[in-house]
Amino acid sequence: MVLFFAAAAALAPVLSRVAPGTFTPYLMLMLCFGLTYALAALPLNLLMGYAGQISLGHAAFLGLGAFATGIITGRDGLPFLLGLAVSALVGGLSALVIGLPALRLRGLYLALVTLGFGLAMFSLVFRLRTVTGGYAGVGVPRPEAGTFVFSRNADLLALIVVIFGLVWALDRNVVRSKVGRAFLALRQDEEVAAGFGIDVARYKLYAFVLYGALSAVAGAVLGTVIGFAQQESFTFDVSLLFVAIVLLGGARSRAGVAVAAFFFGFLPRYFSFLHGWELVAAPALVLYSLVRHPGGLGQSLELLRSARFGRAVGRGRQGAPVADGPGLGGGGAGGDGAAGDSGDEDTVATVTRLALPRPVGVDGAAASGGGTLEVRDIVVRFGGLAAVDGVSLAVDPGRITGLIGPNGAGKSTLFNTVSGFVRPERGTILLGGHDVSSLPPHRRAALGLGRTFQQIGLVKDLTVVDNLVLAQHRLADYGTPSALGHLPRAARREREMTARARETLVALDLERLGIHRLDQLSHGQQRIVELAAALLTAPGVLLLDEPSAGMSPAAAEALAERLLQVRDELGQTILLIEHHLPLVMATCTTVHVMDAGRLLASGPPAEVQSDPAVVTAYLGGVRV
Amino acid sequence: MAAVIVSGIAAGAVYGLFALGLVLVYKTTRVLNFAQAEIGAFSTFVAYALIVNAGLPWGLGALLALGAAAAVGVGFERAVIRPLVGAPRLTLVVATIGLGLLLGGLEVKLWGIDPKLLPTPFHGSGLHVADVYLSPPRLLALGITAAAGLLSVWFFRRTTFGLALLAAAHDVVGVRLTGIRLRHLSAFTWGVSSVLGGMAGIVISLSLGAFAPFFLNRIMLLGFAAAVVGGMTSLPGALLGGIVIGVTEALVSHFWISVPGLVEAVMFGTIVVFLLVRPIGLLGRAE
Repeated sequence: MVLFFAAAAALAPVLSRVAPGTFTPYLMLMLCFGLTYALAALPLNLLMGYAGQISLGHAAFLGLGAFATGIITGRDGLPFLLGLAVSALVGGLSALVIGLPALRLRGLYLALVTLGFGLAMFSLVFRLRTVTGGYAGVGVPRPEAGTFVFSRNADLLALIVVIFGLVWALDRNVVRSKVGRAFLALRQDEEVAAGFGIDVARYKLYAFVLYGALSAVAGAVLGTVIGFAQQESFTFDVSLLFVAIVLLGGARSRAGVAVAAFFFGFLPRYFSFLHGWELVAAPALVLYSLVRHPGGLGQSLELLRSARFGRAVGRGRQGAPVADGPGLGGGGAGGDGAAGDSGDEDTVATVTRLALPRPVGVDGAAASGGGTLEVRDIVVRFGGLAAVDGVSLAVDPGRITGLIGPNGAGKSTLFNTVSGFVRPERGTILLGGHDVSSLPPHRRAALGLGRTFQQIGLVKDLTVVDNLVLAQHRLADYGTPSALGHLPRAARREREMTARARETLVALDLERLGIHRLDQLSHGQQRIVELAAALLTAPGVLLLDEPSAGMSPAAAEALAERLLQVRDELGQTILLIEHHLPLVMATCTTVHVMDAGRLLASGPPAEVQSDPAVVTAYLGGVRV
Repeated sequence: MAAVIVSGIAAGAVYGLFALGLVLVYKTTRVLNFAQAEIGAFSTFVAYALIVNAGLPWGLGALLALGAAAAVGVGFERAVIRPLVGAPRLTLVVATIGLGLLLGGLEVKLWGIDPKLLPTPFHGSGLHVADVYLSPPRLLALGITAAAGLLSVWFFRRTTFGLALLAAAHDVVGVRLTGIRLRHLSAFTWGVSSVLGGMAGIVISLSLGAFAPFFLNRIMLLGFAAAVVGGMTSLPGALLGGIVIGVTEALVSHFWISVPGLVEAVMFGTIVVFLLVRPIGLLGRAE
């Protein structure tokens, strides 16, 4: 990739000097525009495709960069590189300030705030005479390097290619680091992301600040290509155009978005014969591709590439389902086959030891499980209804504790309270002896609380291996700068985490599934992967929310074997919500029964099962 | 001073109308509808074509234009929103942006970018209350907003259909089980919301004097600000938010008329401050 960009950068000046008739300055300028559009679309792609947020103030961020560079290089005569740096700083800081209020909230409030930001910048700041020179704007001179001036369009193009290559590399580094995985996780489900120890609000802010800085850099380049920064270049329509470009390119595909943007920047000057119909055709195409072809141009590119290289399932991105191999959900119709359920004895026999690799960066005591959990007098009310009404219970270290009860008994609410997603009215939660009652979910996860969800708590459009790497988020102890530069420390950690994910799959006899996207697996397989992901974080206490939901009885039996194995070989402490009673009977040492928000009974499974109060609650007798 | 505030209230009534449509869609589908401005603008163009070009009576032309708005809303729901059921919310929001661009492009192609003038239906001289003058478009704005507000509150509080719509926002399956066909509900919401957008567009074009493609983009910011002030999910809140925003705009332009763009900046600030300090708005409810 580096070679490609270097060659492209070298080619432009050479070609324009060798064959000036074909490679005219005008063509070179149009290529500059095309590439600058691509440069400007990349950050928006990062924000929309990865972090799942949208900016309607893209033009304002471009304008910030253009004006900042114009003021620094044009008005003050300082170097172009300083202009770029200040642009990045101004863009990043603005994003930080306006992102703070919007990104604390769930939902797409960023769209509203950036709409306001864009219009306010356009109608107020960009036309202040003192700042931006009023309607006339600010001139942005061609960059200089020593005595060399990039006055020829071909030379400017070479410079833009270099900048584009750097931004491209930065984008790629982000995407393949823990930062990019965190973006994808929170884009799909903020609770799942928090469950893996990801600080959702902070990562959303990261994404937006990165977006702001890179957009402003693109704006600086755009100003340089145009030759001046002027209010009229940064209208609301420009913001909308870039949103449409990212969509047509297929959010998340760097190449697709860059190509789409390139043509929007390059072609209009050549396609004036469309007589403005592109204003109608482009949005119509956007809507059509949204409904019919959600992958956009990027997906088409990928299909083309995988067809050329004969890769039927290129990195598991296409929609082809996983073929049922031997022992993989065999025989079960739909999604009820767990991995290995067609040969239970086989699975149990071959995996005699759970050779789970030791977690990266966690000391032995924490890694060996055996944590404790105690909740005291928890009360949760939704409106007037007490969903959990004074529940106290303790989970024994190294044991599996069951939590059963009819639907609506408050079991999941209690789980969500322990995880930190629900704030109790009163009560205390002690994790490993520490009071965690006031901590946010990702902090509790970091202290060793792992959990699974009723719906599979993994990222659907990542591969199995990527999901398992994602699960190790809180063990990825490299900083964001290291991630952006893909520095040795980050690269090494990433390799270790990937290796660990693969070893885990081998230990679970699932290595064939590694390259497949999660949503291509059967439900039972996804459950096992989810369990593996939860174990990979080496939690002191693991909360499992109905792990056998949607499984066949045979698969549930295999799951029970696995859980016992996890308990015996890792000493893992587990609190289990479960409806499938045979699984509870087979695995739990102690069972707590909840009904209508209260604890009804506690004790060994056999004892609890014959408790008259429990029988009444389950069989729907008359309640007093 | 009183004159400034009263004219702010009258202008704010229209922003409330606009916000009402935004809140209606957001409340029932959690989609921020960024097409609302262009739906309003498109209806205004249709009204112009029918009244000025085709020579229809004003009332009939406006009514047909609102019909066109409803058709756009329902058509969009059928063609785009419904096939995207279960898609990420970001996709739906982006789809509304696509619709806005499409309508704007059509306006440019069909009617050009030169400002147009929609004649006013009134020949009266408006109303003088003490030293405050209310022009006919302003009176119309107040009347329509009051009617639309009362009607929608009645609809959501008193009719089965309206209650089902609200319930669907929380539990789609539950509503299906009661035997109500949700697809009609969703199409209905988009239709009504679009009609509100159309009303706002036509009334605003009357008080602005002239209109052109994308002329409501600025109003969209005020409308969303009104919705945020009202709490995003509260219908009375949208109307109250509209009044607050209208009065704020009037005061800002009265005292700092020499600073263009200050209104937009203040609206931006209002959105930021409300999200920061009181995300549930004046009349919203915590979830």
